[in-house]
Amino acid sequence: MNPDLDLTLERVIRAPRATVWRAWTEPDRFEKWWLPAPTLCRVDRLDVRPGGALVTRMSDDGLEFAPHLDAIFIVVDDLERIVFTNVIDSAWRPTDPSPVPMTAEITLGDHPDGTDYRVIVRHGDPAARARHQEIGFADGWGSVTGQLAALAEGEAPR
Amino acid sequence: MAQYSAQLDGVFIALADPTRRGVIRRLGRGPTSVGELAREFPMTLPSFMKHIHTLESNGLIHTAKSGRVRTCVLNRERLAVVDDWLAEQRQTWEERTDRLERLVTDPEENTR
Repeated sequence: MNPDLDLTLERVIRAPRATVWRAWTEPDRFEKWWLPAPTLCRVDRLDVRPGGALVTRMSDDGLEFAPHLDAIFIVVDDLERIVFTNVIDSAWRPTDPSPVPMTAEITLGDHPDGTDYRVIVRHGDPAARARHQEIGFADGWGSVTGQLAALAEGEAPR
Repeated sequence: MAQYSAQLDGVFIALADPTRRGVIRRLGRGPTSVGELAREFPMTLPSFMKHIHTLESNGLIHTAKSGRVRTCVLNRERLAVVDDWLAEQRQTWEERTDRLERLVTDPEENTR
């Protein structure tokens, strides 16, 4: 865990693990929660196995669907764990995802009240993307605000 | 998230040019007229206006015309968007998990 780059989330969900698993693995269920209403989600591919595709589209009007996510699963432990990344697309081509590269790990554990649901999302460093575009920020995302402040206050970025 | 992503792209595009960074640096000292700004950069006015337009369309600056003078003002809030990405991602995942929780605990959804 890198607190500057990663996020964790823990939740006790009052439903059996198998129910939560179905919501992750059945397209008609996945579509119901993946994107916030009124945006509609359409699952193009939900191939929940290592190397399998996770491709979703989104629409505001239900007519035109724009690309949303094109990712692959890298680890799938039945009823226990799902790991996917957007750094490799569903054709296994390396990508430069926006806004930031990430790997998400979702684990389902037993809990007396239902499911112990945990998410860890490990992000790449967006400053690397900034550097790639020759913006010239100093190393480390944490310093970006300082750099921008310096830029805005009329000092040359270091 | 897609909207935020587009905003972030716009900010990066706007900042990925030395002239536009120069304009932002200059505007950090206070609002300045286009004419005054243009004199500080060695290029034609139409070329310079393209940079101003890029900065304005990506929300990094505002411009306002008063008489024959157009004045540029820095939009500091827009600069902050690049530093809020982790908070945005956290919110996305929290809300996503809220929706998942609602679905799997809804009796009508789980009768089949």
